[in-house]
Amino acid sequence: MSAIVAEGLTKHFGEVRAVNGIDIEIARGAIFGFLGANGSGKTTTIRMLTTLLKPTAGSARVEGLDIVAEARAVRRRIGVALQEAGLDDLQTGRELLTLQGRLFGMPGAQVRRRVRDLLEIVDLAGAADRAVGGYSGGMKRRLDLAAALIHWPSVLFLDEPTTGLDPASREAVWRYVNQLCAEDGITVFLTTQYLEEADRLAHDLAIIDEGRVIARGSPADLKATIGTDVVTVRVGGPAEALDRAAEAAAAVPAVERVQRADGAAVVYVPNGARAVARIVLALDEAGVEVGDVSIAQPSLDDVFLQATGRHLRAGEMPADGGAA
Amino acid sequence: MRTAATVWHLTRRSLREAVRQPAQEAGNIIIPLFFLAVLVGAIGPIAGDSFGVDNFMGFQVPVAILSAAANISVSAGLGTITDIQRGYFDKLLLTPAPRSAIVLGRIAADGVRTLAITALIVVVGIAFGSGFDAGPGGVAVLLLGSFGFGMGYSGINAAIALRTGSPQAAAAGGLFFFPLIFLSTAFAPKEVYAGWLEALATANPITYILEAQRSLIIDGWDGLDLLWGGLATLGFGAVSFTLTFLALRWRTS
Repeated sequence: MSAIVAEGLTKHFGEVRAVNGIDIEIARGAIFGFLGANGSGKTTTIRMLTTLLKPTAGSARVEGLDIVAEARAVRRRIGVALQEAGLDDLQTGRELLTLQGRLFGMPGAQVRRRVRDLLEIVDLAGAADRAVGGYSGGMKRRLDLAAALIHWPSVLFLDEPTTGLDPASREAVWRYVNQLCAEDGITVFLTTQYLEEADRLAHDLAIIDEGRVIARGSPADLKATIGTDVVTVRVGGPAEALDRAAEAAAAVPAVERVQRADGAAVVYVPNGARAVARIVLALDEAGVEVGDVSIAQPSLDDVFLQATGRHLRAGEMPADGGAA
Repeated sequence: MRTAATVWHLTRRSLREAVRQPAQEAGNIIIPLFFLAVLVGAIGPIAGDSFGVDNFMGFQVPVAILSAAANISVSAGLGTITDIQRGYFDKLLLTPAPRSAIVLGRIAADGVRTLAITALIVVVGIAFGSGFDAGPGGVAVLLLGSFGFGMGYSGINAAIALRTGSPQAAAAGGLFFFPLIFLSTAFAPKEVYAGWLEALATANPITYILEAQRSLIIDGWDGLDLLWGGLATLGFGAVSFTLTFLALRWRTS
């Protein structure tokens, strides 16, 4: 049995089609990445799968349970850490986790043991009896993760778990997620706008845009669909220069495809290192002022660009911990 | 059992929250006591001659109690909105706990807070001459009644908080108390009112709750007043809880 199955999952808010017929099937014990830009439908999907929102149409089952008809049973089996760490600043970390455990019906002694263990795991034992309002962003995220795990869920939903975190906290969250999957066999459904996060964590990935899944597969398989290297040429001068650059690059032998994005010509060509000189020469002959040239293996951003004609702008992870 | 346990755990959480915000709780205590002192000081000396109320402190103690309940419920409404805005309300909804119990936990805490402040107001009233004619048993009944009214009034602000998610709307919810209290017998017996105001006070459930509490303080045990006061409290609670659960259903649908 799959951990999560969604068929035609749809959510409309009035005229807005936030999620538009999503079909996904996620194997047990996998880390599933749901990659998309802000407003693409990731959070709405996760809110439906976690029973916080009722679908407008379609259906989904989590651990074999219908998310609408068996919502309370679904909630017993899932742990959820939403985008904004939903915490109560006036409680201490220990009180918050204890209350969470009691609301899942766990007996007092069991809750106390579990809280102590989880506080150790997320490195918050020293801050356990301080008010949550005094925690840093990273500490709140770790506490939120611990709250999601209090009742030993079999499926863990993480909605952009590292947005706004500094690199060290981000690494810590990634380490916990991998550990949960590898050691405890938990299925992880992870939404992210970060390409690197999706690439590093996800065994299986869906890219969502405007409420629809536009690509599906493992990160490696998705990147392999590009089949070429990617040469990105930034162009100076007027806007028409980009058109001339694209035309000139497309005429270079072996170039398979050229796309225009963000003031650059993105050239898909096998063996980019050998082709780059010919591309630059062609652009020079076309009178185009070449600014900056880079060669790279295909990335998930290229998969996104190929499918949508746009870059996933928020996909670069901030080095300083600020939100992208 | 599951509902009762959830209400218990969330009531404790809300009471902890109240204890950790002493400034807010001080306001809930000081404001009704301030109005009690000012009203008794200003109107008390003429109340006997003007409308035949010799024990004006005893007459006003129930007004202070209901004012305290209204203040408490506004702060609790704001607390619910804070939970919604921070995402903590979603975290509670993601547990298998009954959703009605999640809301009732905070409402029950408001009842307990009202009960505690009522005890303080009664002590202050007795210290300044209100007396308490129904004795300790009467105090217990008054505390029980104020617990019920505190929960009932809290339901109104819980409904506003759940329906709007807006701190401004929750704060404005406190304004409902003004017509309720001014169109009752809060400041004088309704016999001295103009005809239109007497009619409104007669239709206002707050009048019966005030009269029941006054009867315990001033007159001793009066079964009819207590019956009407109890029915008014239950009716008020039934309406406010209906609004609360409709708002909860709207928020979670």
